[in-house]
Amino acid sequence: MLTLSGVRAGYGRLEVLRGVDLTVPEGCAVALLGANGAGKTTLLRVAAGLLGTTYGTVRLAGREADSARPHRRARRGLCLIPEGRGIFRPLTVRENIAMFCAGRDTAAGIETVTAAFPVLGERLSQRAGTLSGGQQQMLAVSRALLGDYQLILADELSVGLAPVIVDEILATIDVLRRQGRSLLIVEQYVDRVLEIADYVYILHKGQIAFVGEPAQCRQSGVFERYLGAVAG
Amino acid sequence: MKAYWPFVVVGLTAGSVYALAAMGLVVTYTTSGVFNFAHGATGMFATFVFYQWRDAMPTWLAFVLVVLVLAPLFGAFVDSVLLRRLAGAPPSVYVVASLGLLVALQGTALVVFDVRLRQAEPIFPQGTLRLAGVNVGYDQAWIVGIAAVAAVALALFFRRTHLGLQTRAVIADGELTELVGADSRRITTFSWMLGSSFAALSGILLAPSIGLDAVILTLLVVQAFGAASVGRLTNLPLTYGGALGIGILAALSTKFVTEYRGLAGVPSSLPFLVLFGVLVLSPKGTFREVVETSARTARRKERRTRPLSARAGVLLLAAAVALPSLLTGSQLVTATATVAFVLIFASLGLLVGLSRQVSLCHATFAVIGATTLAHLLSAGLPFPVALLAAGLVVAPVGALIAIPALRLSGLFLALATFGFGVAAQYLLFSTGLLFGEDQRAIIGRPGAFGISLRGDAAFYYFTLAVVVLGIVAVEVVRRTRLGRLLRALADSPDGVMSIGINPTASRVLVFALSAFLAAVAGGLLGALYQRFNTYTLDFFQSLVWLTVLVTAGAVSLGGSVLAAFLFVAVPSFFTRISGFGDYEPIFFGVAAVLLAQAPDGLVGLLHPPDFSALATRVAWRREESWHRDRREAVC
Repeated sequence: MLTLSGVRAGYGRLEVLRGVDLTVPEGCAVALLGANGAGKTTLLRVAAGLLGTTYGTVRLAGREADSARPHRRARRGLCLIPEGRGIFRPLTVRENIAMFCAGRDTAAGIETVTAAFPVLGERLSQRAGTLSGGQQQMLAVSRALLGDYQLILADELSVGLAPVIVDEILATIDVLRRQGRSLLIVEQYVDRVLEIADYVYILHKGQIAFVGEPAQCRQSGVFERYLGAVAG
Repeated sequence: MKAYWPFVVVGLTAGSVYALAAMGLVVTYTTSGVFNFAHGATGMFATFVFYQWRDAMPTWLAFVLVVLVLAPLFGAFVDSVLLRRLAGAPPSVYVVASLGLLVALQGTALVVFDVRLRQAEPIFPQGTLRLAGVNVGYDQAWIVGIAAVAAVALALFFRRTHLGLQTRAVIADGELTELVGADSRRITTFSWMLGSSFAALSGILLAPSIGLDAVILTLLVVQAFGAASVGRLTNLPLTYGGALGIGILAALSTKFVTEYRGLAGVPSSLPFLVLFGVLVLSPKGTFREVVETSARTARRKERRTRPLSARAGVLLLAAAVALPSLLTGSQLVTATATVAFVLIFASLGLLVGLSRQVSLCHATFAVIGATTLAHLLSAGLPFPVALLAAGLVVAPVGALIAIPALRLSGLFLALATFGFGVAAQYLLFSTGLLFGEDQRAIIGRPGAFGISLRGDAAFYYFTLAVVVLGIVAVEVVRRTRLGRLLRALADSPDGVMSIGINPTASRVLVFALSAFLAAVAGGLLGALYQRFNTYTLDFFQSLVWLTVLVTAGAVSLGGSVLAAFLFVAVPSFFTRISGFGDYEPIFFGVAAVLLAQAPDGLVGLLHPPDFSALATRVAWRREESWHRDRREAVC
């Protein structure tokens, strides 16, 4: 679904990704792990087209996508939920959903969202920026439910959220996976994401340090080496 | 009470036109983050085209073509061709680019159109209707009605249409708008088209009451700045209300000031007073840029800036010393003016190049310097002492301007200095405080320490000596702690404060120094020409100077020298080629738009190509392969 080959990218003279190869097979969930500053967010931004590559190619749904701007990639089925700011804060919840639906049937969109997150249904006329942190993240995640997205890139969805909310959000991610959509997930709760993921990539200083299945990386000790002793 | 109603009607009409202009300004600013200083110039240009085309076709057709076709096309051009390249640049870059556009448009209008003030034929039926005991012209009713309808339509557009929703989404978060599959560039371009249309509409409606005059039209639409500041540059209803309020206040004040000659400038400068007042008096943090410059997306061209080498400096100085023997009469006057302008540009460069603060009132500093010099000379002070004192009088004025500089950044500081410059021109210049009763300052060149400065060569050397002193002062600032501090402040004010340094003193100091030098240079210019009136250096000069300096290079001393040469010496050399001078502002305007992002300007282009980037790249690869070889060797 998504293939990055030999991708180099960065900001000005600072090169963050230094030759990354990564594949998200169709219908699979891939976890992208790595320490702070490893380049996870940069990788997602490159995949979505928000940041250009200096070298290497990005292929989306079998076609070359390097020259496609973010909105083109979105129309080709890519949905990036950026960390911490996946919503239009000054707009109301209803207006947010209308934006997510991109001009299609907003009423049906609202139904889909409220079915997944009933609490949002009570707050349709409220400004999204005034929702609680958890509700904001629900709204952000609900974008993946709308539209015809085949590939969902999720960046740190659980940051700063209460455990109950994290459960709810990750449950939605699981639903998306079961619907056969491809996923690339960056997540701090390593254990939780390993339950969902089919494959794991570990990014270390801008390069892929490990590729494998969740079971392999539990045994091989890569966590200790690349993520510190926290995970395990 | 009844006596006031006619003024309210006049004010409401003017306010409605301001509102149209201001709403267009706000729409483009909020969606693109670019505060378009050329908004008024766009309206002016469209107005000229409209009244010219009107002679050849029905009014409605000319209206449709200009407001709905030509102006939007121009807006799209500005957005997609001129400004998109600058994405992610710091605000001062956008200020310079749009000022360049203003100067270029103004210059083009002077070349293309017959800009002698002429009456614009009314577009609405003549006659009046009586409304609640007041005579209201049909045209006034039309204008108020059109502005109200446009305001409501704009509100409905943003609330009810999907494109309006998308526009608000771009304002909120441009990247996310892209991510949900909407083309944010297309939306931004649309808002520029919309803004441009509003500018054209306001200019066309305004022209019948003030006449077709390139400068006045540009300026009067620019008065919308005041209204936009009431709406915090972002809020449309507040902007509309603010515009009407300003219009009514200005009209009412005309009734009051007729009794006081000194206050004659109040009505016309009211919008700028509002602008300056709102910016300076609002609580800190009220005015924030809608688009944050993120270090990540900023594609700053980091070229090494090389100070003018000592050798080049000595050569230049030697040439300057030898010059009088080669020149005669008027040529020597031109040479003296060029030297004086080096100091003006150096003082502006201190702000623009070093601390990245845009000042749009440097001509005002120069004028106050020149007129103060005139007063002090007539009081009997020796020339050098009077010149120094004139500079010292203006320095506190610069410090006063620094107050907004402490609280405002980038765009808003530029706006505040702009407001100050215009208000000073309308209010101070007309009072006689500066220019005296006959609106003309006579500045003699008596002499100093027994040496007469009356001769052109003597005055040339005197000017050269003063300017060299001033430049040495600038270079000292550049290379010592204050200079480093200002560079650091330009880069990250928070960073500077976090290491325990209070930025107040350095910012006040640099503004005061810059104003001091500009005033001294103004005094030199005044003494050179020996007379100065209110139009010698009007505030528009401040804008032109900025574009010239940016074109030449704001960062280095070489840029200041080149700027003075381009601005003064080259045009006077070419005066014989007819019409050359007319094209000059167009050149500087366009060049400023193109070079806005390269702080080194033309001077920077003279540098040899930068091989260091390539070198580091190669070195890095070599290092990498070296590591690989080592690894393999170890294994």
